[in-house]
Amino acid sequence: MSLTTPLLLILALLRTPLFVVIAASAMLGFYSEEVDLSVISIEIYRLADMSVLVAIPLFTFAGYLLGESQASTRLLNISNSLLGWMPGGLAIVAIFACAMFTAFTGASGITIIALGALLYPALKQSGYNEKFNLGLLTSSGSLGLLFAPSLPLILYGVVAQQMSLEEPVGIDQLFLAGIFPGLLMLVMLAIYSMMQPGISSQHEKFDRRVALAALLAAKWEIPLPILILGGIYGGYFAVSEAAAVTALYVLIVEVFILREITLKNLPVIMRDSMVLVGGIMIIIGVSLASTNYLIDAEIPTRLFEWTQQHIGDRLTFLILLNLFLLVLGMMLDIFSALVIFVPIILPIAIGYDIHPVHLGIIFLANMQLGYFTPPVGMNLFIASYRFDKPVMTLYKATIPFFLILLVAVLIITYWPALSLSLPAL
Amino acid sequence: MSSVIKTLHRLEDSLLVLLLGSLVVMASTQIILRNLFDTGLVWVDPLLRVIVLWLGLLGATVAAREHKHIQIDVLTRLLSQNTVLLLQFVIDQFSAWVCLVIAWHGARWVQLDYEDGITSFIGVPAWILEIIIPISFGIIGLRFFIQSIYAGWHFQKRHNTQAASDS
Repeated sequence: MSLTTPLLLILALLRTPLFVVIAASAMLGFYSEEVDLSVISIEIYRLADMSVLVAIPLFTFAGYLLGESQASTRLLNISNSLLGWMPGGLAIVAIFACAMFTAFTGASGITIIALGALLYPALKQSGYNEKFNLGLLTSSGSLGLLFAPSLPLILYGVVAQQMSLEEPVGIDQLFLAGIFPGLLMLVMLAIYSMMQPGISSQHEKFDRRVALAALLAAKWEIPLPILILGGIYGGYFAVSEAAAVTALYVLIVEVFILREITLKNLPVIMRDSMVLVGGIMIIIGVSLASTNYLIDAEIPTRLFEWTQQHIGDRLTFLILLNLFLLVLGMMLDIFSALVIFVPIILPIAIGYDIHPVHLGIIFLANMQLGYFTPPVGMNLFIASYRFDKPVMTLYKATIPFFLILLVAVLIITYWPALSLSLPAL
Repeated sequence: MSSVIKTLHRLEDSLLVLLLGSLVVMASTQIILRNLFDTGLVWVDPLLRVIVLWLGLLGATVAAREHKHIQIDVLTRLLSQNTVLLLQFVIDQFSAWVCLVIAWHGARWVQLDYEDGITSFIGVPAWILEIIIPISFGIIGLRFFIQSIYAGWHFQKRHNTQAASDS
């Protein structure tokens, strides 16, 4: 550790683009070991060696298309007609719709923008109190991260695959591992919603005709999850191919069949989605270089020995991991956190006998909380902007949701079978 | 000058759309070929991966144009407008030089591969595929540089008007 590390950290906190900070740290490292600096470009070029990365632009593009179409309204109608009859119906509708939408569009805050606008007035009308509505919608913006084909789930697999573990981490395994932990979070939030005072009277009757009409309206989008999951687990295609099929399918449906996106708008959406992809890919690229330096300098090994000396048992390690990831999630967006810290944490975690797939789920579940943890959780600011409320109001409104999801995260952390039983089948 | 910049912007945008379009089409065709006809083209998979590299780096140059790179915004909220402008100057300078150094050394690497006549899949010269790295980092570096000049200029202007109103 020299003077440069704290200096870079300060630069990072002062709004220096993260890829610059990572690149600078890699360059300083290689420079001090007298390695030719063209190594950075050579490492970045390894982006072209990783076939799973093909999934990232394709899923992102599909997500942007869905976000720009009326898919969010149709999703809401289906959820409402199928779940609206339950006590606390509309809140449950909100939870499930947000989770589905986030899984497909990535947790970039788009859920709050697209669904929040529809759900906020509706919840208010059904008599939920303001604080509950704000808390629910803000915390639902990152719900669904654990469901396929969410981008962070894929990215964890990408990073873990770079590390040549004894037991490779398949993205298809991660998709399965996320299902029960994700459902646990949904169910816990749903139960809390049902317990809201004065809500039990506020629900609609189940109407078969309405439900059928809602399903019919979304007949083009409903096959999507089946296409993706069925295609992958039926052995028809790899994850990156599923992404290609999804992108092509969504493109045809939204542009040519439903015509909710005009041909004139299409290039704009394509371009905008690739700007997000660029921001993520350049971080992955430079972190390939910095990770390589870390491994050259044997930093993970040294950290591993240090933790082995100081942290005796697995339980203590997990508690510290939870704390560390919570703080990390507050400071760092999920993509940067994944590419910077997974290469460091994963080898240590394996030393404590934590399965790499389980670690991925723990990591993402924790980061999901970070999205709405004060002071800097991104979704707090998006919600503040969207609902036109001071951030302080949202801090207070999200507290009960934070506590509930924290309990979920702890269950997920200390009960590995919840994550690992499905992929083991 | 502004027409050169506009042309560059349009070029970047069109390349993004073109590359993403061909990614979707080629990746889907490959799946159809394999699943229905039990065949496939060997050069498609490496080409798709190179397209993803190009998409990522071009997307990053456009992100630099629009200040959309991922960053942590914790401390700047606490600072005055003047300090933020001055900081922006420093940080953009720093970012510019980091990117330009990567571009410079990248260009050296690409040139070596060019001189050695190294080829990639199906005989395509490797330097053609690699050249996006120095180009994109060069453009990103220049963008940060111009943005730093901008921030510095604004800081100077605010500073001057404040000094004038104080006296």
